[in-house]
Amino acid sequence: MKKTKLGEFEELVLLTVAALQHDAYGVEIKRELEERLKDKLSVGSIQSALKRMEEKGFLTSAFGDATQKRGGKRKRIYSTTSHAHKVLAEMKEIRAALYGSMPKLAFDLKLI
Amino acid sequence: MTHHVIDPPKWPLRFLRFFVKKEYLEEIEGDMEEIFQDNVERFSFRKARRIYAWEMLKLLRPVLIKNSSGIQQINQYAMFSNYFKISLRGLLKNPLNSFINIFGLSAAIGICVLLYAFAQYTFRTDQFHKNKDVVYLATFLANRDGSEKQFGITPRPLGEMLKEDFSQLRKVCRVQDRSVIVKQEDNVFHESIRYVDPSFLEMFTFQLKWGTSGSLSDVNSIILSQEMSTKYFGEENPIGQSILLKFDKERSKDFKVTGVAQKFPEARSIDFNFLIHFDNLRTSEPSYDFQDWKEFVSATFIQVANPADIAAITARMIKYKNFQNQAVEKDWAISSFAFEPLATLHQHSGTIRDNISTSSDSNYKSIIFLAVISLFMLALACFNYINIAIVSAAKRLKEIGVRKSIGASRKTVIVQFLSENMVITFFALAIGVLLGRFVIVPWFEQINYFSTDFTLNDQTLWVYLLAILLFTAIASGIYPSFYISHFQVVNILKGSVQFGKKNPITKIFLTFQLILACILMTSAVMFTQNSAYLEKRPWGYNQAESMYAEVPDQLAYEQLSAVMAQYPSIISISGSAHHIAKSKTTAVLHLPEHEFEVDQLSVDANYFKTLGLEILEGRAFNDHEGSDKQAVIVNELLVKNLAWQQPIGQQFRIGSIQYEVIGVVKDFHSSSFFSPMNPLIFLAANKKDYRYLSLKVAKDEMETHKALQAQWAKLYPEIPFQGSLQEDVWGNYFDQINTHGKFWRGIALIAVLLASLGLYGLMTLNVAGRVREFSIRKVLGADTMSIARIITMQYWSLFTAALLIGAPVSFVFLKFILGYAYEYHMPINYSGTVIAVSLLVIVLVATVSMQIRKLLRLNPVDGLKVE
Repeated sequence: MKKTKLGEFEELVLLTVAALQHDAYGVEIKRELEERLKDKLSVGSIQSALKRMEEKGFLTSAFGDATQKRGGKRKRIYSTTSHAHKVLAEMKEIRAALYGSMPKLAFDLKLI
Repeated sequence: MTHHVIDPPKWPLRFLRFFVKKEYLEEIEGDMEEIFQDNVERFSFRKARRIYAWEMLKLLRPVLIKNSSGIQQINQYAMFSNYFKISLRGLLKNPLNSFINIFGLSAAIGICVLLYAFAQYTFRTDQFHKNKDVVYLATFLANRDGSEKQFGITPRPLGEMLKEDFSQLRKVCRVQDRSVIVKQEDNVFHESIRYVDPSFLEMFTFQLKWGTSGSLSDVNSIILSQEMSTKYFGEENPIGQSILLKFDKERSKDFKVTGVAQKFPEARSIDFNFLIHFDNLRTSEPSYDFQDWKEFVSATFIQVANPADIAAITARMIKYKNFQNQAVEKDWAISSFAFEPLATLHQHSGTIRDNISTSSDSNYKSIIFLAVISLFMLALACFNYINIAIVSAAKRLKEIGVRKSIGASRKTVIVQFLSENMVITFFALAIGVLLGRFVIVPWFEQINYFSTDFTLNDQTLWVYLLAILLFTAIASGIYPSFYISHFQVVNILKGSVQFGKKNPITKIFLTFQLILACILMTSAVMFTQNSAYLEKRPWGYNQAESMYAEVPDQLAYEQLSAVMAQYPSIISISGSAHHIAKSKTTAVLHLPEHEFEVDQLSVDANYFKTLGLEILEGRAFNDHEGSDKQAVIVNELLVKNLAWQQPIGQQFRIGSIQYEVIGVVKDFHSSSFFSPMNPLIFLAANKKDYRYLSLKVAKDEMETHKALQAQWAKLYPEIPFQGSLQEDVWGNYFDQINTHGKFWRGIALIAVLLASLGLYGLMTLNVAGRVREFSIRKVLGADTMSIARIITMQYWSLFTAALLIGAPVSFVFLKFILGYAYEYHMPINYSGTVIAVSLLVIVLVATVSMQIRKLLRLNPVDGLKVE
């Protein structure tokens, strides 16, 4: 947790990659995330998040197949590493624990 | 690929390929293309293209961009220390060239230092006041003959009322200036004093050397400036001493000195000689009505808690405007009040009439002049450097060849030359700063009689100098380093590279230098001519044979004129309420169609004869009491501005009185040539208003002037004499004009020196390269003329071109500059340019003949032995 930090947006991208499995390449990740967030994203933001996480060791990648629509250029398929899964699970736990300690206060406030 | 009919635009792709890391390129290009094709299906083609381009730009992110540093991580210390060594050796090997380069650059940098010193002086004006952002001068705007003008005086009750009405106001200070007689033991002088509210010293940051500023709230206290303290008490501490102020004939009061200000900062627009409590006006001038909206105080300053409050206060000033406009006649109605912040007052005070602060308008003009001159000088010095660098590079070709062949890239050679240049510029900078600090700035201060308070202990100065260092080093070094580094190694080592002699750039630069030198030379000549001209320019009346004395009232006038009338040298005596160049008032003329603002002087019938004012049409006033009460005499300018065909008999109204024009007087300068002439009227003065006595003398002006002073001292031993020869009324105006000439001569001297040194250096190098050729020619019997012709051949066309361009350019330039700097200047003719060009030609010929002489004395045997 301490050494390699995961930003909020990076975490979203990482989860998307994990969810998409073998379809996880740039355009598909962007499409999926845009649908879920109901917001426009730029190629640049997705690409830089992917590259940064690859450097940090959350992701690995390999060239996939090329299509005509891509002007004959190959896709790069991303896949999550086991380290990534561990960090994601940790984050989820921390969040859950924090949520667990919150409701009391929040409800109290709402009742007033 | 048939369905690929729609292609994305090309340029964003090229852009992408340029900056994105190679290993990411295929993936990102593919993604972008896919998204583009999706968008083409969903939106219009144009929108898809737009999104495509925009997305490309957004790809500019640090993680995706190529590493620019690459593999150049090696320690370059050794290389740079080698460059440094080589540059030092180069400097020592060619002392003449090094001297020309370093001297030229340091002279130019010295002038840049002067520019800085002067600019910081000007920008710092009034900035020492701690409350500069919350203290404001109350002003009003009023429409006088069609245009809105700002005035620095304020209605008397305004200050007090503002203090009561606005909670945002922290402090208010009224200032009333008066002229009084100050007496301390045997010292008696006319002085100007300031009646101020005690808050004056709280609002303005004037530190006291002795005493306390709070003492100003005592009506019996007086606070002196350091200058006045020295004038009356010497170097001693005068606290507790008494000083007598004589307000008029009957009223006087003893004050106790309770404070002495420290020496004022040089850059200031407001100061004082004597400060006394405002309430003293109640006793010194019983008729002074504090509540009269028709009357004005010299200034009202306010201090707010927050600069933002000013808008709210200004918005509510309409109430006071109405008070004011009900009180005064329609002529003097005002349109609004406004507040001028103290921090920027000095910039605007030139356009605020009747205001007590001094303006720095002319300083801002001078900054522009100095900036232009600094640029000229830097250009001259850089051109010298470039020319010498290019020509002398011939000797360094082998070095470059060797460097290149053992692996230096072109970039490395460029860096080498630039860093060498940096070394030279650095030396020049060090010398230039010293030159500026200890020679040029003191010289400038000395000819202008002021101090810029310039020190080297100033952070901004060093940032500025660093900027100059970089700019100069790059501007002068970039072309030579590119030029020299572009030769092919093979050609250099084979010896087949030919350059230097035929480089057209060298010639263009030399031409440029000569043009600049020509412009600055012409400036020097024309400014000198102009000051000679202005000294002789007629003032429009006979200033040489007249003199004046100020008198306190009619009785004094009559006594003095009775004694003076007995002197045989005096031709005529006249009394007046105002006096040319000393005092005047303004009036608004009501004409049937419009209103017109003019200067007004009230004089007696003899005034025109006494001052030598020439009546062109009509007549002067009649010399008996009570006549011509409704007659005016106008000047030519007024007739011209109102486009009167027949001025005599024209009528207009001033206030409620109808006046008729009875005469037209020839235009004359009522103030120095710095200010424009104004339309002006003369009215017949009431005897009881006489404040000036003017004399016209036939001969012995100095004798008569002394007699006038002596008679005055006999009549009024208690009142010091105030008056002078009419010639002296403009004070140090002519000194100022002469200063301009001196300044430009100094600048031109440096410029011409730089240009001729550059030429000399260039010729030396040229001749050195051809020394064998000349030796052979001499051996074969060439005579002086033919050698001179050969050396100078390539320069004549260049000189001619430079002077042909330079002369008209400097003529036009100077015409503009003189028009910009002076309200009245000499009629511009070609003589200035001709003199400047001839001087320049003499310098050039001298430079060239020095070279020729050196060559003629050369023993051909030595010449042939070179290398």
